[in-house]
Amino acid sequence: MVMSAPFMVSQTAGLVLAVVLGFFFGLFLERGGLGDPHKLTGVFYLTDFSVPKVMFTGMLVAATGLYLLSDLKILDMHRVWIVPTFFWPQLVGGALFGIGFLFSGYCPGTAVAGLASGRLDALVTMGGIGAGSLVFAIVYPAIEGFYFSSPMEGATLPSVLGLNHWVVMAFVYLMAGGMFYVMERYERKR
Amino acid sequence: MDPREVGMKKNNFWSPYIAGAGLGLTLLSTFVIVGWGLGASSAFSLLTGLGLGKLSPAYAHKITYFSQYLNVEAPLLNWVLFEIMGLFLGALVASLVGGNFRVRLDRAEHMSAGTRMVSAFGGGILIGFASRLARGCTSGVALSGGAQLAIAGWVFVIAMFVSGFVAAALFRRLWS
Repeated sequence: MVMSAPFMVSQTAGLVLAVVLGFFFGLFLERGGLGDPHKLTGVFYLTDFSVPKVMFTGMLVAATGLYLLSDLKILDMHRVWIVPTFFWPQLVGGALFGIGFLFSGYCPGTAVAGLASGRLDALVTMGGIGAGSLVFAIVYPAIEGFYFSSPMEGATLPSVLGLNHWVVMAFVYLMAGGMFYVMERYERKR
Repeated sequence: MDPREVGMKKNNFWSPYIAGAGLGLTLLSTFVIVGWGLGASSAFSLLTGLGLGKLSPAYAHKITYFSQYLNVEAPLLNWVLFEIMGLFLGALVASLVGGNFRVRLDRAEHMSAGTRMVSAFGGGILIGFASRLARGCTSGVALSGGAQLAIAGWVFVIAMFVSGFVAAALFRRLWS
């Protein structure tokens, strides 16, 4: 059958699948060392490169599969929800996030993995994330203009650069490969 | 014993490339099966909104941003919330089987418990705020968006790493 994916599932089936997919998400995060705040912050001190290695490997595998299945007409990319881009809020958000990541040693998903491995500091971070969400919700009316600024909804690197997605992927493979090579060499030297 | 010492002695984590490949296949399966990516931070916002709705309904309903949770039927039947429950179970099983489960307040050697509470909570506040501003976190925007080659994912991930490196240079003794 052509273009059957993504599958339309009922809400109940969707929630069961959410638990199953989340289970594997958590399993691979913990097994990759991403429930450990020392490993999570190691990249910023050039002592441990688990975060970029796990993250970029995951991105590459998923991106390759996504575009391959789309080209093979197994997956209808038009029915996949593309993460919307709002350039400036996401740039500022990413920058603030990096500072919070360094201070706490976690991000939202890895904090849950940290708590699941017995880390009480991860629970404190989870409380902080709730508090930060509340602060955002309270000040939202004042920053709504900025929140909706620079919209590029559905924009992707291939669409913006006007390049075939495999050309972009080739750059991504090269960049990630180069990065992995440098990190491995650096770790061996230490 | 210092937690880092333990980690060094018995580092039984998988190769990050193997774990990353597993993560990528999980994300790909999510795209193929349900038609969107993985997430995390929105569950925290949802629970905060619903919690406030219970504590102080009048005030919660005045906050427009929370209307997306308060004005829907069965808001707890949320995809990301269920995914996070699965995440917890998966990480719990992995840490128990891997022998990494240990109740503790994890922190740098020299750091006091009080400082750790402040860094964990303060960092969390920044993360919570930043995730809402960016419409997601490392899972929903960086990983899922990055894998779609969405501009959002790459802008977020580059900004995050640059600012993390700058912050680490300014707070050198925080973790090392």
